[in-house]
Amino acid sequence: MTHTQEKSSMLGQGVFIFVYLAVLTGLEFFVAISFGSVPLLVVVALIKAAMVVYYYMHIYKLNLEQEGDEHSYEYKSGTNRLGLWLFLVSDSFVFGGLMVMRINLLGLTRPDLNQLLGLAVTSILLISSFFMNRGETLMHNGDRRGFLLNTAITFVLGLGFLLGVVLVEWRLAIHEGLTPDSGPAGAAFFMMTGMHAFHVFTGLILLAVIMANGRRGLYDEKNYPVEAAAVYWHFVDVVWIFFYPALYLIGTLA
Amino acid sequence: MRKTNYVGRGLLLLVIAGVAGYGIGLGIDLLISNTLNFSGSVPSAFALLLAVTAFFFGLYGYRGITRGLTWQILGTVLGALFVTGVRALMGSSKIFGAFLFSEPAWVFGALVGVISFLFGVGVVDDWMKWARGIDTPEHHEDEPGWEKYFYVSLDHKVIGIQYTVTALVLIAVGGLFALIFRTELAASQLQFLTTTFRLFNQTGPQLYNTLMSLHGIIMIISILLGISGIMNYVVPMIVGAQDMAFPRLNAFAYWLAVPASVLMLMSLILGGFDTGWTGYPPLSSRAPLGMQMFFLGVFTAGWSSILGSLNVIATVVRMRAKGMIAMRLPIFVWASISTSIIALTATQLIGLSFQLVMFQRLFGMGFFDAAKGGNPVLFQHLFWFYSHPAVYVFVLPGLGVISELLPVFVRKPLFGYRWIAMSSLAIALVGFTVWAHHMFTSGMNEYLRVPFMYSTLLVAVPTGVKFFSWVATLWQGKIQTPTPMLFVLGAIIVFLLGGLTGPPNAAISLDLHLHDTYFIVGHFHDTIFGGFVFPFFAAVYYWYPKATGRRMSEFWGKVHFWMMTPSFLVLTLGMMRVGLLGMRRRIVDYDPALGLDFSHFVMTIAAFLIGLSVLIFFINFFRSLKHGEPATGNIWNSRSPEWQVPSPMPVHNYEVPFEVVGEPYDYGLPGSKYVEFASADKVSHSHS
Repeated sequence: MTHTQEKSSMLGQGVFIFVYLAVLTGLEFFVAISFGSVPLLVVVALIKAAMVVYYYMHIYKLNLEQEGDEHSYEYKSGTNRLGLWLFLVSDSFVFGGLMVMRINLLGLTRPDLNQLLGLAVTSILLISSFFMNRGETLMHNGDRRGFLLNTAITFVLGLGFLLGVVLVEWRLAIHEGLTPDSGPAGAAFFMMTGMHAFHVFTGLILLAVIMANGRRGLYDEKNYPVEAAAVYWHFVDVVWIFFYPALYLIGTLA
Repeated sequence: MRKTNYVGRGLLLLVIAGVAGYGIGLGIDLLISNTLNFSGSVPSAFALLLAVTAFFFGLYGYRGITRGLTWQILGTVLGALFVTGVRALMGSSKIFGAFLFSEPAWVFGALVGVISFLFGVGVVDDWMKWARGIDTPEHHEDEPGWEKYFYVSLDHKVIGIQYTVTALVLIAVGGLFALIFRTELAASQLQFLTTTFRLFNQTGPQLYNTLMSLHGIIMIISILLGISGIMNYVVPMIVGAQDMAFPRLNAFAYWLAVPASVLMLMSLILGGFDTGWTGYPPLSSRAPLGMQMFFLGVFTAGWSSILGSLNVIATVVRMRAKGMIAMRLPIFVWASISTSIIALTATQLIGLSFQLVMFQRLFGMGFFDAAKGGNPVLFQHLFWFYSHPAVYVFVLPGLGVISELLPVFVRKPLFGYRWIAMSSLAIALVGFTVWAHHMFTSGMNEYLRVPFMYSTLLVAVPTGVKFFSWVATLWQGKIQTPTPMLFVLGAIIVFLLGGLTGPPNAAISLDLHLHDTYFIVGHFHDTIFGGFVFPFFAAVYYWYPKATGRRMSEFWGKVHFWMMTPSFLVLTLGMMRVGLLGMRRRIVDYDPALGLDFSHFVMTIAAFLIGLSVLIFFINFFRSLKHGEPATGNIWNSRSPEWQVPSPMPVHNYEVPFEVVGEPYDYGLPGSKYVEFASADKVSHSHS
């Protein structure tokens, strides 16, 4: 396969995956408002997460044999990749713990939140993952302008998500009487969205760093930092794939 | 040229700054609260922070750790002032609290302080450069001499020694606390920690609770640092790597532990806390401010442990020597991997559980507040999901050290290599499923009890495998008993006692009676001494020549062992005895009618003997740096690669890489070979 063919096929794959994810998100929303089957929501979330982990975060790269000796950039990037994934495994235990907390305290009830806003921020984060994947693929193929443009779009969407949750959603919730100290629903909601928003915030910092360094002309050869920031960004998306149904869709109103 | 006495200068500045800090704190306290409180927290807090910083300034000048500590103090004060200012602007009526700043101000300040420390000490410098697109050299050269141990070094051997020495300092602090409250327990009634006694805004019994709690957590942190020390020093060497996979992350993980230790000491001074190291709500949600410092300190130390174990796993997976396949890995590496798997993942849960209580206190979020619909038992589940596997984090490297050293001193192959390698992994994995055995009396769902009892009993199987292997390795061996081997044998005996007293606690019907008695205290001191302290001392005596080129005194090493072991057995067997007779744990006083006064008196003497033996160890440790017998060769006659090159180890470990050509533990088998150095071959050819 030639270089351009490979590039266009990878970009095409990104589009396909995004379409699947969007359809599944719509299905999720439909399932929740029509018959609210929890097992079905769990299955959909698992499928979505698996697709992001495999295609956008390309976990299979952990298995690649690196060419070159121990001091080559390729080999070191492989080590860095392993380190990043170990960190993500560790981090997912925080979110797993928060999920346990939510299930223990709220069971099959959920806080009364603005459904439309929830769907909107979820979509924004999902779309940002799509552009992140595009940006990474383009930089991998040497297209700096495309990388910068797509990463900038990702950054704007990510910022939109962050502000949408922290400024709009939190304010609406407090207005409705769902405050951090109002009870388990409020505590769980603010803790989970807060911890996730903190990770989005750190992800935005990483995006800003790779954009700045991309503008300085780095990453022609040594572009592992782009991959790392992208993988971290998708991880934040994966967390939201589980948190969204857990907070907005599952069960009955508390 | 006159040689400056750096330590003397440091100690002098320590005293001066301590007095000055106390005075400043007294003045500020007087200004805010209008009372002259000589036993209060604020003067002592200032005295502690300034004294420690001044000590390092005298020792070392304004760089490295001194700069970090200075920045931490400034960061803490500025962060606290920031929150205080915001509260004042928002018109809050209570701007200041009982400890000068209000609780939110202290928490935010302490967090800013930790981050400031990391910037101040310089451990994030390279990352900041990378973020700005500036490349840095892969390694930095260290200064020769002792100075390098007080600044950021990227050499895994320096970091390993930094970890080990910090662990020893914390062991001394935690042990001192234990001796203080052990003395109070020597007789019934209150002796010196009385209700009229006041220190750090605490009465005598409150101070007892704080010291007891801090003894627990400071020892735990020192154990985490101790295992990190051994793993950092040994793992890259025995897998044939030049360094850890991520040298900067390695340094970062170590330097996190320093501000964490400062926070722990701050928690003693800022009102203390009385929950024990477990920090259960609801008590922890209304304990004094020290509780928050404790939470933050554990959180910081937890990150140190997580990042350190991430590094160990990546190093072993990616940087092994040629030919070092899984079934030829040294047992200690298997143990490190197992322990790192737990520390990498489960540690997040103790951090999360403490964070939730922290937020409950700061923002009124009712996670564990039954009045708001929260669930206090949920805390215990989250907490023990780490804190039970944590004991396997503590003991697995120690058990690895036992298996690593035993064949060296028995001159015989290790019995059942595969089984013992897999038993470490098995303990780690089964360890994830046993946490609720700490909660049989907590009021959790009753149907959970039986499965957790059986999963707990299951741990005895892989642990038993290790014992069979050790006994079979000893069987008919040519046993030599230099100091490291004595500690290995001591570890086996003490850990056996700890192991045998475990299943009775796991059995629900017995545990309902034993829960929260001194029997439990005796049990876990046996497991931790057998699984960590004895092997840790063995490892220090064993690898000390590798690090320094000198060996520690055999005579004083043996005195250390023969003084510590019998005293320790008296202490823990005594603990179990009084526990079975009805002595509650974590309590400042007991009823004279229980008739335990004599037992407690004997145990207190035993505790002081242990303290004395550790003091001997410390003197031996530091004296041998200069006066120890030179030992640059393979003094233990080991097959392991690090002993095939001269001591002390060169900066980047092996000049020529080695290849693994045989089994690691085939001691005493004629013609067997473990490692082969690339050029060693040529050398032997040219000579023969």
